Amino acid sequence: MIPVNWVVGLAAILFAIGAIGVMVRRNPLIMFMSAEMMWNAAALAFIAFARHWHDMSGQVMAFLIVGTAAAEVGIGLAIIVTVYHRRHRLDVDEISGMKN
Amino acid sequence: MTAFIILAILAIVGALGVVVARQPVHSALFLVANILSLAILYLLLSAEFLAVAQVIVYAGAIMVLFLFVVTLLTAGKEEGEPKEQLEGQRWIAGVLAVGVGIALAVLAIHHPGRAIASGLPHNFGNLHGMGLLLWGPDFLYVGAIALMLVTAAIGVLVLNRPVRRQAPRPQRRNEA
Repeated sequence: MIPVNWVVGLAAILFAIGAIGVMVRRNPLIMFMSAEMMWNAAALAFIAFARHWHDMSGQVMAFLIVGTAAAEVGIGLAIIVTVYHRRHRLDVDEISGMKN
Repeated sequence: MTAFIILAILAIVGALGVVVARQPVHSALFLVANILSLAILYLLLSAEFLAVAQVIVYAGAIMVLFLFVVTLLTAGKEEGEPKEQLEGQRWIAGVLAVGVGIALAVLAIHHPGRAIASGLPHNFGNLHGMGLLLWGPDFLYVGAIALMLVTAAIGVLVLNRPVRRQAPRPQRRNEA
């Protein structure tokens, strides 16, 4: 059996890499993919703890995460496409026009 | 344990590829590698249903949507990364994120929890067990996911509603 600590450590590393991607890259599509990776890391931690405590509630939470990620991708890509149609540039600073 | 190490290396390489790749298409393909290795890892953690859901929802639906938008927006363009407006933001963010990641990983690895002696339930993580939970005590979450997906679909429709043209059509005949 895989020790739970190592899996949670892997989840932490994946989460940090995703955070680096969100903060360092400026292409909104790549930022979105990095955010997906952070969701995935959280789901991995939930599943590892579900396996460790022999309780399936963690897997239900991971299922909730998968559903949330699907909804989030739909709405986020719609926003990116709309902004791109107005500005014709893939730069995350263009989205600051959504203020006010 | 060997399988875990191989899958962890694959997942980390995929994650680094997403962040480092120049083209968004390459990022998407690295993300597919990351997601598939995580799905196999879920199998090792006896979460069969979630492994299949991960492959269907992430590698199927979400990545196809991503690739569709990437090809729609960046087809045939060689666009470099736009210039950073905030001075030094990249370095500070990178150093802080690496520090947080290393701290979390070290804490997770150095503080093991108690082990449980009892065996796994016979339907742990497969379709039967998940169905008993999701359609029993945890039905609230299924309802929440359904509501969220419907809201997202309506939001997408509202965002991309067709523009009504009030202006009359340009008259080509006079120009010709």
